[in-house]
Order: sequence, then C-alpha cells, then structure tokens
Amino acid sequence: MTRLFTSLGVAAVIAAVIVSVKLAPVTVAGQAPPRTAWGEPDLQGIWTNEFDVPLQRAARYGNRELLTDEEQAQLDQQRAALLGRDRRVERGTELDVAGAYNAVFTSMKRTGRRTSLIVDPPDGRIPPTTPEARQRAAADREFRLALLRSTDTCKNKSTACAGGTYDPTPSPRRAEVLSRYNTARMNRHNGPEDGSLGDRCMSGGIPEFGTGFGGSFRRIVQTPGGISIFYDVGQGQGFQRTIVMNGSPHLPSNVRQWFGDSRGRWEGDTLVIDVTNFSPKTDFMGSRENLHLVERWTRTGPNTLEYGVMIEDPTVWTRPWTVKEEFTKQNEKENRIYYEPRCHEGNYGFPALLLAARLAEKAHAERRGSHPATKDNATDFVGVEENPLGR
Amino acid sequence: MRIRLNGSMISVAIAAAAVGAAVSMSVTQTAGQASRPARVEGKPSFSGIWQANNEAHWDLQAHEARPGAVTQPGAYPFAYAQVPAAPVVALGAAGGVPGSLGVVEGDGQIPYTPDALAIKKENADHWIDRDPELKCYLPGIPRAMYMPYPFQITQSTNKVHMAYAFATTARTIHLDTVDGPPDYTWMGHSVGRWEGDTLVVDVTNFNGKTWFDRAGNFHSDGLHLVERFTLMTPDVIRYEVTIEDPRVFTRPWRIAMPLYRRMEPNMQLLEYRCTEFVEEFLYGNLRTRPLVTRWEGETMTVDITRKVPPGDRFYEWFRK
Repeated sequence: MTRLFTSLGVAAVIAAVIVSVKLAPVTVAGQAPPRTAWGEPDLQGIWTNEFDVPLQRAARYGNRELLTDEEQAQLDQQRAALLGRDRRVERGTELDVAGAYNAVFTSMKRTGRRTSLIVDPPDGRIPPTTPEARQRAAADREFRLALLRSTDTCKNKSTACAGGTYDPTPSPRRAEVLSRYNTARMNRHNGPEDGSLGDRCMSGGIPEFGTGFGGSFRRIVQTPGGISIFYDVGQGQGFQRTIVMNGSPHLPSNVRQWFGDSRGRWEGDTLVIDVTNFSPKTDFMGSRENLHLVERWTRTGPNTLEYGVMIEDPTVWTRPWTVKEEFTKQNEKENRIYYEPRCHEGNYGFPALLLAARLAEKAHAERRGSHPATKDNATDFVGVEENPLGR
Repeated sequence: MRIRLNGSMISVAIAAAAVGAAVSMSVTQTAGQASRPARVEGKPSFSGIWQANNEAHWDLQAHEARPGAVTQPGAYPFAYAQVPAAPVVALGAAGGVPGSLGVVEGDGQIPYTPDALAIKKENADHWIDRDPELKCYLPGIPRAMYMPYPFQITQSTNKVHMAYAFATTARTIHLDTVDGPPDYTWMGHSVGRWEGDTLVVDVTNFNGKTWFDRAGNFHSDGLHLVERFTLMTPDVIRYEVTIEDPRVFTRPWRIAMPLYRRMEPNMQLLEYRCTEFVEEFLYGNLRTRPLVTRWEGETMTVDITRKVPPGDRFYEWFRK
C-alpha cells in the first residue's frame, strides 16, 4: 500500500566522484566548488543519490568502506538479472496476492561504490541498542503479534508472524491502549491513531537518506543568511525545512516538531546543521523526542554534494553513528522532481481501511462474517527477492 | 531597530564586497532575522518571513462582521440577524468573522459568470463540508499568500522559494527556464521574471480544487495568475494578483494587499502540520467508538454529531 512507485527514467549517468575514505570531503582536483554570487559555497539544485547502497554493511566486507571496480561490476551484473519480485508466501493466501509487486514498481539503481551508507562505527553497522530500547521494541513486537495471532498469517507461519504463534481465539489485547504513540501499521483499525504514519500521509521525516524503494530528492535554495530544503519522498509525503542561520539557540524544549528544529552554520565550506526538538510522535528506528542529528552538507564538485549525518540518541543506541552518501545534481530544466506533497489530498486508502474494519465488525455482529480479528489487514509485504546488496 | 550594524555584519559586508561587483550589498538589519542584504544580485531582496495582516482569508470582498463562521436563523427571519450555528457556538466571540473592506480592486466585485455565481453561493452555504482549508488540503495560490499563517521567502538568483507554515507546503518560483509539471497541481507552476524592481510571477497548471477564501470563492483548472511583488519599504511588500479564468469569470480581476515582515527578534517558521489535526474532522465518523460529540458548557449544550451531507459522493460511498 505504501510502496514507493519510482520511475527514475533514463538517468544521466554521471561518473561518481571518488571520495576518500577519510572523514573530510575531498573536492575534485583543480576545481573549486561553485559559490553563490554572495560568496557562500553553492549547495543549490535538486539532489539525489543515484546509486544503490545498503544502509548496513554485509559482514563479508568487514571494515572496508568501498567496493573495488570488479566487485561493483559483478554486483551490477547479478542484480540486473533480478526481477525485483516480492517474496512469495503460502500459495492461495491473500498475503501472497497482496505482495504482487515486481521491478516495475521497485526500480533498481546502479550499485554504488560504498559497501554501506554507515561509515561509523567502522564495521558499517548500526551500533547495539540499549537494554531499554530493546525492551521497548520487544514489547511493541509482542503487542503487534498478539493482534495477528488469529489470522492465516500466523496459521501459515508466514515471516510476518515470526516470533508469534497461532491461536484461533482473538487476543484480549485488541482492546489495549498503547503506552507510546503508534507510528506503524497494526492489525487493528479502531481509529486514525491505529494507522501507520505512512498510511496517514505523515511518514516524511529526517534523517532522510533515501534507502528503501528508489530514494528521495531534495531541492536546496539559498539566500544570503538563509537556506531552504524541500524534500520529495514517499509518494507525496514531502516536506520543507527552513534552516535558521542566525546563530540563535534551539527552540524551547516544550516546542516539538515533526521535522525538528534545524539550526545551521558554516564550518569552512561545509554547512553544518544541528537538529533537535523532535516530536514524540516521530520515530526513526525507535528514536523519538531524544533524537539529535548533526548534518554536514559539502559541495564536492560541479555535480556532486556530500551528505553526512551523525545520529545520536543515548536512550536508543549505545553510541552515535554516522551515515554518509554522495548526491548527484539533477537536471534543473527538466525539473524532474514533482515535489508537491499531496498524499493527504488523495488519501482514500486510509478511510477505506477504517470503513472496512467497521463493516467487518457489523457483518460479524449480524453473523454474516468471521471475527474481524481473523483477517490480516496489516501485512501487505514480506520483503523482496534476495538482493546481493542486502538491506 | 534597523540599521544597527554590528561587527559581524560589517565583516559580512566586507567579505561580500570582496567577492566582486556582481553583488551590491546594502545591509539592512531586521530584528529577529539574520542581517540580509537589501538586494540579491542587483534585485530587491524579498527574503525573510512574511504574513498578511487582513481579513482576506475570510472573504476577498467587502463584508460586515458576523457572529459566526457558520450561522443559522435566530429569532428574526432577517439575514442580518442570524446567530452562530452549532459547530462554532461554543467558541463565543472567538468564533465570529471580522469585517473588512475587501481586497478586490476596482468596484470590489468578482465577475462570476451566472452559473459560477450560483456555485459560489452554494459553496458558502456548505462551507464546512466544501472548503479545502478545513480538510488541510494544499491551499493553492494566491490563498496561501494571505492565510493567517507566516511564510518564508528564500530568494536566490535563479529560484525564489516560498515555504508556508500551513500544511508545511512550499512552491518554487523559477526565474530560469524549466519544463512544466507533468500534471495539474494544487500549488501551481510558478515562473518568474523581473520588471525593474518588481518580481512578476506567472502561475498556471492549477487543478480546480483550491479556493480563494472561506467565503466559497473558487476557480476552475483554467486559472491563470499574474502576481506582482514590489517592496514598499524594506519590511512591506505590495502584493498584487491578476486573476483570469474564462470558465468562471467574465473578465480578469485583481486583488492587492500589503504583506508584512514578521519583526519578532526570535521569529522562525514553525510547522502547522494539520494533516494530523483534521483526522477527527475527516475520519471521526469511522471510529469503532465515536469520541464525545456533545459539549455541555456553563450556559449552553452543543451537539455536533455530524450528518452526512446528502449527495456527497465520498460520504455516500462510505455509507454503503
């Protein structure tokens, strides 16, 4: 339902700028990065990651940050043969039909040079989570499995029910109020709050580094003393950021925002943005109001921009971690991003989910239908075919 | 407040001067917003946070104050003696509509065709069910420019970006050549040019779903706007729009108003992500257990149980 339909078209394949493994960005030799008329580094334009790089590194690469040319070519060859199909599940089930996507919907980009987007820790993996974060995640998973337990998904031992068991009696937890604000889809649609942020057209957020289905675009516009970034992500769930550049402190801690509070400064030719004040209704891999980001945006050449983000939340991860990627400038004239965020305006799917739940309850009460808890209306997808890049 | 040069600003000016003759910088210090050059690349700078301060978002045309955004007949049969209707009665004086002399130039009339005028009146009668603003839909242009929320202009040399607090949306005005969008849009496709010190923006590719105000003034997907932005003072923009839509209006017409810089020392654009706020309005009737729809105040009781508007295809479909 929330699959990203990406049609990248014929991408102008521009040679990737080889960036050193050191933390400091390296610019193309002999070419000073462009500057604005008022002398700041020019970060303006439409930017995207034109290459596929997994967030986390496969164990076989160890601490190695970059692929060799041969490895890259070989991976491209292997991946070209993939049809990008969803993994099949128990034949004849609704779940099998729900996942009938293929490469037409999940277009594949060329293999990138990096073995992972994560550059720190050196093994390219998300650092271990804290005991409290693990406990929260386990409790959340347990609740979601309880809502699934009477469905065919569990009866057929589908991946979506991993860790759970089948029990034909609907769980009493269907009446439970969650202890934290819900952000993910669950097999219950009592009201809008039971929906996932994606289904509610509110999934856009930062950090945004475009993993998943096809990626993301951002347009940067600068003015003396000001910077605006507009994101095109997730089927019309784009959003804007206006970066405060006057050196003032962050918002008071009682003012929380979905996209945080972004305060920027120039460190040499790098735009450094500190982001805090996230809303407890946001969720980035389990991190909510305590999320702290430090982004570093550096123009490295005529068509390249390096983006790095340090991600920190001591209540979730045992140490900060850093993601780095290289964006390629997109054709301005073709204006190829269509960034009007109009998911909400066309959101007939979400009220239909709620309505279907009401109709199922009515049918069951009138002895015309099975108990609503026996239908899985949460799982639409159990993963795509094995991709040698991993995810 | 203004022209309070401090050391860092002077160094900005010196650094800029060093860049070359392309930039003429006369630094204007505006309280609360970073010091900004009054001109960018030789053009007046509109960068900053702005907001209209008028009643155009209620009704573009001259109107007298009324007791509620929606009203119903009171003791008298006269239109001028209506009383607030249930959805706003609990808000008391905060639920009324302030009067205004309007922002429509000339005779103050909007030149609707007879058919379109009938639709406009119907829109006003069914405001709560029809106004896209109440659903948190993208507001469109020009409405986004004079809603009661701030917006931020980031003016560069080839793009002028406008970010709006309402619905956290934005538009980019292209001063360079770009291809048009592949489909109709809510916010329009904006192409700008300079006529002296005035920024002139041509806006097309609208869908027919946005309105001009809360009074039911509307347009079709044939809407074509020409906006003109002119600085009256460093902190006031004169904003004029010529509105053309032959399917709805018999001739082009114009609105004009000042837009004011937000001068608070700590001003910044905050989110108004109303998608979340309107879920109860849009989907409340689809809850397992409806939330309380009855309000018992000290002096009155209001029941705002929502009745499905007859003939509304969207709701009819739900009712099946």
